[in-house]
Amino acid sequence: MTYAYLFKYIIIGDTGVGKSCLLLQFTDKRFQPVHDLTIGVEFGARMVNIDGKQIKLQIWDTAGQESFRSITRSYYRGAAGALLVYDITRRETFNHLTSWLEDARQHSSSNMVIMLIGNKSDLESRRDVKREEGEAFAREHGLIFMETSAKTACNVEEAFINTAKEIYRKIQQGLFDVHNEANGIKIGPQQCISTSVGSSASQRNSGDVESNSGCC
Amino acid sequence: MAAENSKQFWKRSAKLPGSIQPVYGAQHPPLDPRLTKNFIKERSKVNAIPLKNKKASSFHEFARNTSDAWDIGDDEEEDFSSPSFQTLNSKVALATAAQVLENHSKLRLKPERSQSTTSDVPASYKVIKSSSDAQLSRNSSDTCLRNTLHKQQSLPLRPIIPLVARISDQNASGAPPMTVREKTRLEKFRQLLSSHNTDLDELRKCSWPGVPREVRPVTWRLLSGYLPANTERRKLTLQRKREEYFGFIEQYYDSRNEEHHQDTYRQIHIDIPRTNPLIPLFQQPLVQEIFERILFIWAIRHPASGYVQGINDLVTPFFVVFLSEYVGAGYGLIEEERLWHENPAHIGEEDVENFDVTNLSQDILRSIEADSFWCMSKLLDGIQDNYTFAQPGIQKKVKALEELVSRIDEQVHNHFRRYEVEYLQFAFRWMNNLLMRELPLRCTIRLWDTYQSEPEGFSHFHLYVCAAFLIKWRKEILDEEDFQGLLMLLQNLPTIHWGNEEIGLLLAEAYRLKYMFADAPNHYRR
Repeated sequence: MTYAYLFKYIIIGDTGVGKSCLLLQFTDKRFQPVHDLTIGVEFGARMVNIDGKQIKLQIWDTAGQESFRSITRSYYRGAAGALLVYDITRRETFNHLTSWLEDARQHSSSNMVIMLIGNKSDLESRRDVKREEGEAFAREHGLIFMETSAKTACNVEEAFINTAKEIYRKIQQGLFDVHNEANGIKIGPQQCISTSVGSSASQRNSGDVESNSGCC
Repeated sequence: MAAENSKQFWKRSAKLPGSIQPVYGAQHPPLDPRLTKNFIKERSKVNAIPLKNKKASSFHEFARNTSDAWDIGDDEEEDFSSPSFQTLNSKVALATAAQVLENHSKLRLKPERSQSTTSDVPASYKVIKSSSDAQLSRNSSDTCLRNTLHKQQSLPLRPIIPLVARISDQNASGAPPMTVREKTRLEKFRQLLSSHNTDLDELRKCSWPGVPREVRPVTWRLLSGYLPANTERRKLTLQRKREEYFGFIEQYYDSRNEEHHQDTYRQIHIDIPRTNPLIPLFQQPLVQEIFERILFIWAIRHPASGYVQGINDLVTPFFVVFLSEYVGAGYGLIEEERLWHENPAHIGEEDVENFDVTNLSQDILRSIEADSFWCMSKLLDGIQDNYTFAQPGIQKKVKALEELVSRIDEQVHNHFRRYEVEYLQFAFRWMNNLLMRELPLRCTIRLWDTYQSEPEGFSHFHLYVCAAFLIKWRKEILDEEDFQGLLMLLQNLPTIHWGNEEIGLLLAEAYRLKYMFADAPNHYRR
């Protein structure tokens, strides 16, 4: 499968907010209620379509525990997009966003697109962080914002794809140097038939998602 | 054709490092005895070493004995990085694996050995000490005719290497009754364990190739240094240590909700349901509470590292092994009796994994909990720098793994470089969780028999096991031709059907690597 661009993502945020579940829902379209702990980093990938262009997303899912920070930090470098995740039912995961953001800004390229995600939107009854608070935080720090549910798949596609759209927009505006791999972007091999299709369960095509569905 | 092959092979293998001696019993079809007799004679002449009845008693003798290790390349251009070396290398590995398994089983089976066709085995085979490099050197360089593991597995190996593989096989549901050899081995363990002062060196030697399930709990307690070798002191020690642990609980466990400890406790609390999520045993509230207590107490007593994710996994094997004493008919016996109890062969790992712990008395659960805590603590003492700030132990080991692989399998190493795969991307977890995420639990338990018998098993030998594990997948690795495919493979290696046999081979190969590289940092220098 040819692709026009390859974008590298990193998923960050406190432990237990659902980072791995978001990735699994996005790559495999399934939800695993009890998920193994992520140790260090784990890798996932999927193809998406933006503006009629095939874009390969390679995603590093990181361990949330503080102890692994020195390992996971090295994955910021070379990421074009970051999903910064908190859990809407646990306020402390929202309170830690500032330190996550500092870490991300300090160790990434300045153009990295950051998507703030309030996950577990299906657990409305246990909500501890208002949507407006998430929106305000995002506005204040120049982030894109969405609430998602890895369990119901609500907004999961959109979160990954809208991030890709923003990166793509920045490329077209000339804000990204696509020839510098440290920016987390690679131009696809022209006319090259990729042999890896089917080698991973995590690679699928997806239609263009136009706008946020109102499910959350 | 087979005969021709074997001749060719012997010709080739004479150029391998270390002395080449014939392999008995591990070869299919068996060697021609006449051929081997001549072979032994010739080798003896060449090395001017009497092969029978002699251990390598001095370094000089050992050095002489392996002096041909440096003959490589004399009359054949054998570049270590060349493909031919790679194949040869894997042959040696497989042969070594078979050999080690075979040797270990022979070790304990002298009566049977004398009746078998292997009675003319050179006496130098008699000893394999996991702690003695010199001895193993010879054995580990012994070779036999094996091409690939795949091929080997399709060969009728069962009748040849069944012993170690099946003795402690956790997949024993519906397994046939114990063979005579297995009984002999178990008997040997029981003698060791019940003698006034258990000979720990001997116990380690016996345990290296796997501990029979019946005696594993007490053997592990001894190997980990938790239980004293002196039988008379054991009961008291256990009692004292168990009280000590519950003293900690009484003193500290309430502090879990205090400000300075609540982060630690919360982390543990959300990690426990995510520990072994697919095994029913670990979803039981009583079990989860036990794990929380063990981990919390350990964490606050070790502030240099605290609790790091992955440590939670390390409780599991101890807990399962100590619990296994009470699953099935062993329940209700006192400690000393349990050693002699014949555990029915059909009680397997699955029975433990599905066991309902509410069947057990409070006292028993407390014993299991305290013993798991202490044994895990002993293990962690040896690898604490894996979990201190910035995890230097892991960084160092991943680098060492890279260095090692670059020397033993340049093709795989270059393949990773070509597709920009970094060792840290997949091997971090191998070190942080001691391969527990990559292997079924039954395999981890078998692996730990050896880790606990090997000096610095968890901290040092593990590196060689990781290298052997990686090379085990070399074909699959080389088949993947992009970054994505490689990463997906490396983080989901298909070991689900693995059992003792695979672990035995892995350990033998690891041993070979350790022998070759441990004290020879320049060996095979690129």
